[in-house]
Amino acid sequence: MSGAAAVAVAPAEVEGDGGSRQAEPVLRVEGLTKRFPVRRGWFEMLRRPWQREYVPALQGVSFDVAAGEFFGLLGPNGAGKTTLFKILSTLILPDAGTAVVAGNDIVRRPAAVRQVLTPVIADERSLYWRLSARENLRLFAALHGLRGREAETRVEELLRVVALADTGEKMVGSFSSGMKQRLLIARALLSRPRILLLDEPTRSLDPLSARDFRTFLREEVAGHQGCSVILATHSAEEALNLCDRLAVLRKGELLAIGAAEELARRYGEERYRLWLRDDELWRHVLARQTTGGVRLIESRSRDGGSKENVYQREDGWVRVEVEIRGGRERTAALLTELNSAGVVVAGLERMDLTLAELLDRILYRSAGGGDA
Amino acid sequence: MHRVMALVRARALTAASYRVQMSLSVVSLLVGIVPLYFITGALQPVMADTIRAEGGHYFGFVLVGTVAFYFLSAAVNLLPGEIGSDLRTGTLEAVLSTPTRLAELVSGMIGFGLLWTTLRALIVLTVGWLLGVQVAWSQLPAAAVVIGLLILAYLPFGLMGSASLIAFRTAGPLARGILFASTLLGGIYYPTRVIPSWIQDLSSLIPLTYGLQALRRILLEGASLVAVAEELGILVVFVVVLMSGGALALWLALRYARRAGTLAQY
Repeated sequence: MSGAAAVAVAPAEVEGDGGSRQAEPVLRVEGLTKRFPVRRGWFEMLRRPWQREYVPALQGVSFDVAAGEFFGLLGPNGAGKTTLFKILSTLILPDAGTAVVAGNDIVRRPAAVRQVLTPVIADERSLYWRLSARENLRLFAALHGLRGREAETRVEELLRVVALADTGEKMVGSFSSGMKQRLLIARALLSRPRILLLDEPTRSLDPLSARDFRTFLREEVAGHQGCSVILATHSAEEALNLCDRLAVLRKGELLAIGAAEELARRYGEERYRLWLRDDELWRHVLARQTTGGVRLIESRSRDGGSKENVYQREDGWVRVEVEIRGGRERTAALLTELNSAGVVVAGLERMDLTLAELLDRILYRSAGGGDA
Repeated sequence: MHRVMALVRARALTAASYRVQMSLSVVSLLVGIVPLYFITGALQPVMADTIRAEGGHYFGFVLVGTVAFYFLSAAVNLLPGEIGSDLRTGTLEAVLSTPTRLAELVSGMIGFGLLWTTLRALIVLTVGWLLGVQVAWSQLPAAAVVIGLLILAYLPFGLMGSASLIAFRTAGPLARGILFASTLLGGIYYPTRVIPSWIQDLSSLIPLTYGLQALRRILLEGASLVAVAEELGILVVFVVVLMSGGALALWLALRYARRAGTLAQY
């Protein structure tokens, strides 16, 4: 794997590193913009037939991906990840901006782009269920221009790689979800693409299969095949363990881009866990601090998206989480203030953010919550 | 060509996996000929004079008309059917993400359907021959040329239906309208010259009219391609004009769907 974690070309408005990459990027996206018309009801269409309303799907998105890099795309549903993938796959035309894949513009040379970039369509129905796994791969090998012995060798090689060689003659309709996902990956790798687009590839896999699949992606796809991977995911494990860099999208805007640790540092360094005597005094004291860059965290997102209360009580003590902006000086000042007010502090430790919390932080700040 | 063959093969294997459906399709074909044989036999005395120029044998006359209808129905319906099916299953998106060209995709999608139609047509002709129709088997290559032109003349309506499906998610009434008009005015069950004069002119705008005239003379009378050159010439004009319109419609629909973001979205 390339260690392309540190540097990224990012648009000026994005809170991210702005240097230039050392290697020529295999994908360069600049100012990509797309909007879709809002679907209207019959009455509205008759009332104002010529008026069209649009919803932005991508708003000036710019980034680049280096050869062999694992690039994660994060964001809530409707953030624009799938639209971005479909534009890169040449299935949707952008309204503005450009994307160049291995030197080929996606609008001017779509066929050349499809030679080097392959989307892994996560929908199992995109396989031919009445054909065997082997026949599915043979078909797509031919569609990618592979012939004869070369095609057969590649098909057999990939069936082995995804551990489907023994079941290659079975009809795909009888496969489990995990087997279908592996076949989808094998299909995408047929043409030895330089870029692979993966849209939530493990969403229908059990935890063990998902773990194996991630190992496969890291070792085989990015390692042996040297393929750049753009991965849209909601899974913290995938994003943090696989991706060299992460980009966060919301409502079509690129909010942040950088290595996971760097984003966590940038957005999560002010999060602390305090153990306090549970006498309710602490709540009044902390509540008074909100204007001084201290915020009491009441709840946080689980990775699944639901909220959980952060307080934990134990033997007369309570564990609370606070965000302290202002560095160590402000943290020291808070401890002094707590002591002066009679709040007994038993411990203070800095917290690591989960992916969901990191996302929450990035989205919160981009929505203007930076000074809270 | 390699990509076309791969798509045809995949569709053939898929169709073959539905064994009962495939067997029933052949059985129903054979069963359907029997009533046609008896009905045309009963009408033979009435129709004999009218179809004297086309061999005078009414069962043979209708049989060739039926065979031609199989092909034009396939040309009009196959592509929208395949695209609709691939849109529903999601395979269209996967295929469109490969470097396959549009012409290869269209040919590959309808290729197996046309081969299957050819097999059905040969079965029907063989059964007809066994039941007494004088089929000029030696002229099959010439008949294939006419059928090829008929397919190419009707395929544009399939392209237009597919364009409508891609752009608006419905193939619309075009296919049914074209097939209805061709059945009524193209001379499948009666020669076009018996149609009332005020609509007879309309039949001259139907490619099937010329295709069937040529096909009947070739298959039932053993005429050569040179003997039906006039009908072939008119068919070629239909092909050139209609194919331009069909290809343009499909190209525009794909462009519209790519802009609207609805390509490969059901």
